[in-house]
Amino acid sequence: MYATLEGLRRFDIPHKFEVVSIISLYAQWIREGRLKVDPAWNTEGLKFSVQDPCKLVRQSLGDPVADDLRFVIKSVVGEENFIDVWPNKSNNYCCGGGGGALQAGFVDNRRQHGKTKFDQLQDTGADVVITPCHNCHTQVKDICDHFGGKWQTTHLWGWIVKALQR
Amino acid sequence: MPKGSVLVVGGGIAGVQAALDLADSGFLVHLVEKTTAIGGRMSQLDKTFPTNDCSACILSPKLVECGRHLNINLLTLSDLVSLEGEPGNFKAVVHQRPRYVDPTKCIACGLCAEKCPKKVDNEYNLGIGKRKAAYLSFPQAVPLKYAIDPDNCIWLKKPGRCGACAKVCPAGAINFDDKAVDHELEVGSVVLALGFSPYDPSELDFTGYGRLANVITTMEFERYLSPSGPCMGHMERPSDGKEPKRVAWLQCVGSRDINRSCHPYCSSVCCMFAIKQAVIAKEHAHGEFAPSIFFMDMRTHGKGFEEYYNRARENGVSFHRARVHSILPADDEGNLRLRYVNEQGGIEFAEFDMVILSTGLEVDKNTIKLAERLNLELDEDNFIKTDVFNPVATSRPGVFVCGAVAEPKDIPQSVMEASAAALEAGSILAPARWSATAVKEYPLERDIHAEPPRIGVFVCHCGINIASVVDVKAVTEYARTLPDVVFSQDNLFTCSQDTIDQMVNTIKEQNLNRVVVSSCSPRTHEPLFQETLRDAGLNKYVFEMANIRDQDSWVHKNEPEAATVKAMDLTRMAVARVRGEEALPYHTVKVDKSAVVIGGGIGGMTAALSLAEQNFPVTLVEKSAQLGGNANNLFRTWQDDKVQPYLAETIAKVNNHPRIDVQLSCEITEAGGSVGKFTTTLSNGQNLQHGVAVVAVGGKAYSPEGDWQFLYGQNDKVHTLLEIDRMLIDESEDFKATGQAVFIHCVGSRIPERPWCSRVCCTHAIDQAVKLKEMNPDMDIFMLYRDIRTYGQRERLYQKARALGIIFVRYDLDHIPAVSEDSGQLIIKTHDPIVDAEITLQPDLLVLATAIEPQATGSSVAKFFKCAIDAHGFLLEAHMKLRPVDFATDGVYLAGLCHYPKPLEETIAQAKAAAARATIVLSLDEVPAESITAQVDPAKCVGCGVCVEVCAYNAVSMDEDKNISLVNADLCKGCGACVAGCRSDALTLQNIGNEQIMAAVEAAFD
Amino acid sequence: MSENYNLSKLRTRLKKQIEQAVPEARIDYCLTCGLCASGCPASGIEDMDPRKFLRYLVLGQDDIILQTNWIYSCSLCQRCKYACPMGIDVGRLVYEVKGMRPVEDRPKNLQKSCDLQKAGNSTGIPNDDFVWVVGDILEEIHETEPEWSDLKAPMDKVGAKFYLNQNAKEPTVEPEEMVPLWKILHAVGIDWTYSSKWWDGANYCLFTGDPEDWELTTRLQAETVDDLGCTTYINTE
Repeated sequence: MYATLEGLRRFDIPHKFEVVSIISLYAQWIREGRLKVDPAWNTEGLKFSVQDPCKLVRQSLGDPVADDLRFVIKSVVGEENFIDVWPNKSNNYCCGGGGGALQAGFVDNRRQHGKTKFDQLQDTGADVVITPCHNCHTQVKDICDHFGGKWQTTHLWGWIVKALQR
Repeated sequence: MPKGSVLVVGGGIAGVQAALDLADSGFLVHLVEKTTAIGGRMSQLDKTFPTNDCSACILSPKLVECGRHLNINLLTLSDLVSLEGEPGNFKAVVHQRPRYVDPTKCIACGLCAEKCPKKVDNEYNLGIGKRKAAYLSFPQAVPLKYAIDPDNCIWLKKPGRCGACAKVCPAGAINFDDKAVDHELEVGSVVLALGFSPYDPSELDFTGYGRLANVITTMEFERYLSPSGPCMGHMERPSDGKEPKRVAWLQCVGSRDINRSCHPYCSSVCCMFAIKQAVIAKEHAHGEFAPSIFFMDMRTHGKGFEEYYNRARENGVSFHRARVHSILPADDEGNLRLRYVNEQGGIEFAEFDMVILSTGLEVDKNTIKLAERLNLELDEDNFIKTDVFNPVATSRPGVFVCGAVAEPKDIPQSVMEASAAALEAGSILAPARWSATAVKEYPLERDIHAEPPRIGVFVCHCGINIASVVDVKAVTEYARTLPDVVFSQDNLFTCSQDTIDQMVNTIKEQNLNRVVVSSCSPRTHEPLFQETLRDAGLNKYVFEMANIRDQDSWVHKNEPEAATVKAMDLTRMAVARVRGEEALPYHTVKVDKSAVVIGGGIGGMTAALSLAEQNFPVTLVEKSAQLGGNANNLFRTWQDDKVQPYLAETIAKVNNHPRIDVQLSCEITEAGGSVGKFTTTLSNGQNLQHGVAVVAVGGKAYSPEGDWQFLYGQNDKVHTLLEIDRMLIDESEDFKATGQAVFIHCVGSRIPERPWCSRVCCTHAIDQAVKLKEMNPDMDIFMLYRDIRTYGQRERLYQKARALGIIFVRYDLDHIPAVSEDSGQLIIKTHDPIVDAEITLQPDLLVLATAIEPQATGSSVAKFFKCAIDAHGFLLEAHMKLRPVDFATDGVYLAGLCHYPKPLEETIAQAKAAAARATIVLSLDEVPAESITAQVDPAKCVGCGVCVEVCAYNAVSMDEDKNISLVNADLCKGCGACVAGCRSDALTLQNIGNEQIMAAVEAAFD
Repeated sequence: MSENYNLSKLRTRLKKQIEQAVPEARIDYCLTCGLCASGCPASGIEDMDPRKFLRYLVLGQDDIILQTNWIYSCSLCQRCKYACPMGIDVGRLVYEVKGMRPVEDRPKNLQKSCDLQKAGNSTGIPNDDFVWVVGDILEEIHETEPEWSDLKAPMDKVGAKFYLNQNAKEPTVEPEEMVPLWKILHAVGIDWTYSSKWWDGANYCLFTGDPEDWELTTRLQAETVDDLGCTTYINTE
C-alpha cells in the first residue's frame, strides 16, 4: 500500500485512478450489506488477534483502516472472539519483517526485532493471528515457530469465505 | 480626568493580586471571572512548590479579602464582550450569565445540592467524580454562593419537571427566572489575567490517556491529592481505588513538541510540579512509595528549586533521563509498563501502578477569541504578545496582561506580573486615584473594659488537614468546658466566606468579647480573623489563635489520640491568654510620600521611574559612578532586542526626571524607622525621610576559579558570556575567523558551593552561539551543558540553535570537561553520553557561562532595613509564592538580581511590581502602625539603658532628666527585645506581657 | 569509555548529503531524548538504535553509519517518527543510507527481489505463467466446487472499474490462496480485473534505497492501470 501510495506521491507519477485498501472495501461492503457474513461457524470460539501492518495503517491510512480491519474480523469471527493487542493501530509495533528484512538475511537480527511482536501476540493467547500483509504473514509465522508460539498465522480472506452467506 | 476604575479579567491568583493591588492603591476594580467563583487553577492545587504550602490555605485569605473588599466589584459567571475607547476612558461590556441562585439570599447551606437529583461530571475536579446540577465548585469558594448549571438542570431544561432545590432552599434563593445581564462599565484601564488551560493529551494515543484508567494528568493527580478533591486527599488510583505504590511521571507531554501537539515551547512549571507531586505523594503514602520521573532536561531554574530537586533525589525520588514512547498495560489489574532506554541506549523495563502525564500549559481557545474581539496581537504560540522591555503591556494601549496567558510561568512570576500590571493600569490613572472608591467604615467599637470575659472558640477542620487526625468535635466540646468560654463551634473551613460572615453574627448574638480560633498559622490567617472582629464591633486585639494544624495534625499524623489531647492543650492555652487581653488603641503613622531606591541598575531605575511617574519623589542611590549596572555589559535579549539603546534611553529618562534625585558613588550608612516614615542617611551625609524603600542592589558574575577555571585568565581564548557581549556591543570582528567555539554551561552554578541554577545562562549562552553562527555560518559550535533550561518560549531559541547546527553535548559532575592547552591551542576533552565516547575539541574560542552571585552589599542593606537574606546571600522575600517582591518588613520591597538570577524582562516586571506594592503605601495619607508596643513602668525602671542598646528600631531612648527609658510608640515594632533584656521587669508588651504568657504556661500544665 | 572522536574540525559529509536529498530530514533538531529508541523494536540490534543513528550523523561518524547492518533491521516502520517530539523520520534517513551502499555490498536477496521486480515481479515468475496459473486454478474450482461454477478471475479486462494487484508469492508457491479473494469479489459482484503485466502487489524496490527503481516500478504499474481504464486500484495488503 505504502509503496504505491507514497511512490505515486513522492515521484509525482501521473495517474487517473484512486488507490484503496481491500480492508476498507471489505468493511464498506459488509456495512452496505453487499458482503454478507455470519460468525456462526465459529462454534468452538476460536480466538483471533491481529497484526496491524505498519505500511497500511501508520504509514498510509491511519486508525480508520485499523478500525475497519477490526470491524471486519469481528463481523467474521464474532465480536467476543477478538482479542486486541496493545499498542495497536497506528501505534502498533512493527513485526520486524518489513523494510526488506525478510530478504536481507541477518536472520538473528530479524528475530530479535520480532521478539517484541512475538511477546505481544503471545500475551493475547489467541489461536489465530490475522496478518493482512505478506511480509507480516511470513515474519509472524516465523517468529511463532522460532519462539515456540502456538497460534496459527493466516490471511483474512479465508475466514471471510468461511463466514460468507450467499 | 481619566476614570478612577479598572477592569480586571480573570479571577485566578494573578487577577486577584492585580485587583487587590489596584483596589488598595485607590481604584475601583471590576473583577470579571468566567466561572462561579474566583481562585482559578491555584485553588485546584493541593500543595505548591518549593515551600510545600497548602495551596488553598495560602490562597484563601486573598480570595476572602477580594470578596470582602469594598472597592472590588466581583462579577462571576461573566465574560468581557467588547471594549471601546482609549486609555483613561474605556467602555467595557461584560456579559453576566444567570446563576439561578440569588447571592443576596443564599446562605450556602448546601441543601439544594444535596437534594438535586442530577449528577454531572465535576469539571472542577477535571471530570473526576460527580457534582450536582446545583453546586459549589469548592468549599472555600468566593463568593460562597451556590449556582445552578443550566446545561444540566432538569427544571431549566424542562420547566415544571423537578424544582427540588427550590422546594428545600430555606432562604428562598433559587430563582429559575434569573436572566443574563450586560453590564456597561466605564473604566480607565484593563488588566487581563486570563490564565491557561492544561493541555489535553487525549490525542496522543501512545500515552494511553483516556484508554488506560491509571494514566492521568498532573492536574488530575493534584485533585486526587487535594483535601477538597474527589478522594478527600486520600491517594487513590482510578481503576480500583487502591493506593499506588509505584508511580511514574512523564515530562513534556504537550510541551517542547513540534510533531503532535504543536507546542514548541517549554511549559516552565511542569518539572517542579512533578517533583513536588512526587515528594508530596510520598508524604501521603502509607508505607513504601517509589516515585520515578522521566524527563529530557530537568528545569529547576527558580529560587529554591534546584535545592528542592536535590532533596527529592536524596529522599528517594528516582530521576530517569529518558523519554518514553508508549505506556503499556502490564496486566489486567491496571498496572502499567514502560520500556525505555537509558542514556547509553540500554533497554530497560519498569512497571508502575500509575503513570502521571506532566501535561503542558496552553492558551485557552476562548482567550484566542477574546483577543480577536479586543484587537490584541497574539504571538506564534497564541500567547498574548508583550514587549520585552515592557513585559505587561499588550499591543493595545491601556490594556495590560499578567500571568500564564502571556507565557507559561509559575505562581510567583504570575503574582509579580500581576502587581506590575496593576502598577501600569493604575499609573495612567494616577490623577483619578480615590475618585471612584468608597471608604471602609467599621461599626462603632464596643467598650468591653468593664465586662467579664465572654470567650468564643471556633475550631477548624481545615477540610481533612486537621480533622483526619484530630477529633475536632471533641476539641470543640472540650473548649466549651473551659472557664469563661460561653460559645464554641467547629467549622469545615473557618476561613471560608460563609463562616466568616457567620462569625460576625455569632460574636454579636452571643455578646462575645474575646475570640479564639483553633486552626492554622496566625502568619497567614490572623489578619483575616482580626478584621472579622472589627466587623463585629470588637477591638482586633482581643483575639488569639491556636495552631492545631502546622503544630499538631501535620506533625502527629500517626498519633491521633495524642494529637487530639494536644489540640485541647493548645486551645486551653489560647483561651488562658485571651482572657487577660485588653482592647488596644490603633496607632497610625503619617506617610512621607517619597521613596528611596537603592541600586541604579535596570531594576532600580525602573522602580524609580514607575514611582516618579506617579508624582512620588524618589531618591535613587547608586554605589558606582554610573547608572545601568549589569545591563551596561548586555548585548541583546533572547528576542533580539538590543539592550544598549534601551539602557541609554532609560538612563536619560531617569536623569531628566524632575522627581528623581540621582545620587551616584553613594551608599546608605544608616536607616531607621518603619513603613510610612523611614529615616535614611547616605554616605554623602544627606538625611532622607521617606515612606518606602526599594532594594535593587543587583548581582554579579562569578569569577571562574578552581575546578571551574578552565584556563580563564590564563589563556586569552577563554572568555565569559559578559565579555563576549562586550565584544558584540563593540562590534568586534574577531569572530569572523573563529573556526570552532565551545561554550561550557553551569560554570560555578548547581554545585555544593553555589547550589542554585543561575536561570539566565542557558538562554544567554545559546543566544550568543546563535549570534556567532549568524555572523560566521562556518563556525562549529559545541555547547557543553548539564540540562538545557530554556524555559517558556526560550525553548524556541534552543530549537533554532539546533537547527543552525550548533551541537549540544551533555556533561555531568562525574565527567566535567577537561580543558588544557598545547602551545596556546586549547584542547577540550568531554564525554558524549549517547554514543558513550570521548570527544576532543580544539576551539579558537571558549566561552564560560558563569554563575550569578548576590552582591555583598545586599546583606548590609538588608540589615539596615531589617530584611532577611537567604543562606546564599540573596534577599529573602516575605513569601516565596505569594509575596515575591515584599520583604517581611513592611514598606520595603525588592527587585532584580539581588532576589535571584533573572533575565532583563523579569527584572523589569519585578521592579514594576515592587513599585506597585510601594504605591499602595504612598497612596495613603497614613498607615496603621503597631499597636502592641512596649511600655515602661517608671516605678521599676532603674535607667540602666540596656533597652536602648538592644532596640533594633531606635524606638527606645533615655529621659536623661528622670533617668528612665522612653518608648516611641510610632517606631516600636513590638518585637519584645527590650522586654526580654530588662533586668528590672520594668518593660512589658501589651497583651503579650507576663500576665498573658504566665497564664498560658500555667494552663499548659492544667 | 571505548572510543575517542577527534572533532577538532567537524566534518559531517554524510549528514549534509542526506539533508540535501531529504529537505525535511531535521537531523539537527534531535533532542537526544531517547523516545525513538524507547519505542523501536530494533533498538539494541547491532548496538544501534534510532537515537544513536542520528547522533553518529551529527558527530560526523560516517563510517559507523555506512557500515552498520542495523539499516536492514530498521524496517522503516516510522513508529519513531509517530511520537518523536521533533517529528524526525529516522526510517527516511535509513532509506537514504541504504541507497548509499554500493549495490555489490547489499544483501543479495533483497537486491535480487528488486531487480526481479524491475523485470516484472518480485519472485521472477514469468507473466505467462501467472496468467496460466490463474486460469488453471479457476478451472479447478469450476470443476470441484459446483456452487462456484460461475467464479471469475478476469485478466486485462479493459474498462473494469477495479484493478486488483496480486502479491507474487501466491501464484509462485501457494496459488490456492488466491481463490478466497476471488470468491469475495464475486459474492459482492464488483467489476474487477487483473493485469497480465506489472501485476505484483509487493514492491521490494522500496527497501533497497534506490529511488529510481521504486519510481520505475510504481510508474510502470500506474501506466498499466490507467491503460486498462480502471478508476480504482485495490491494494490487497
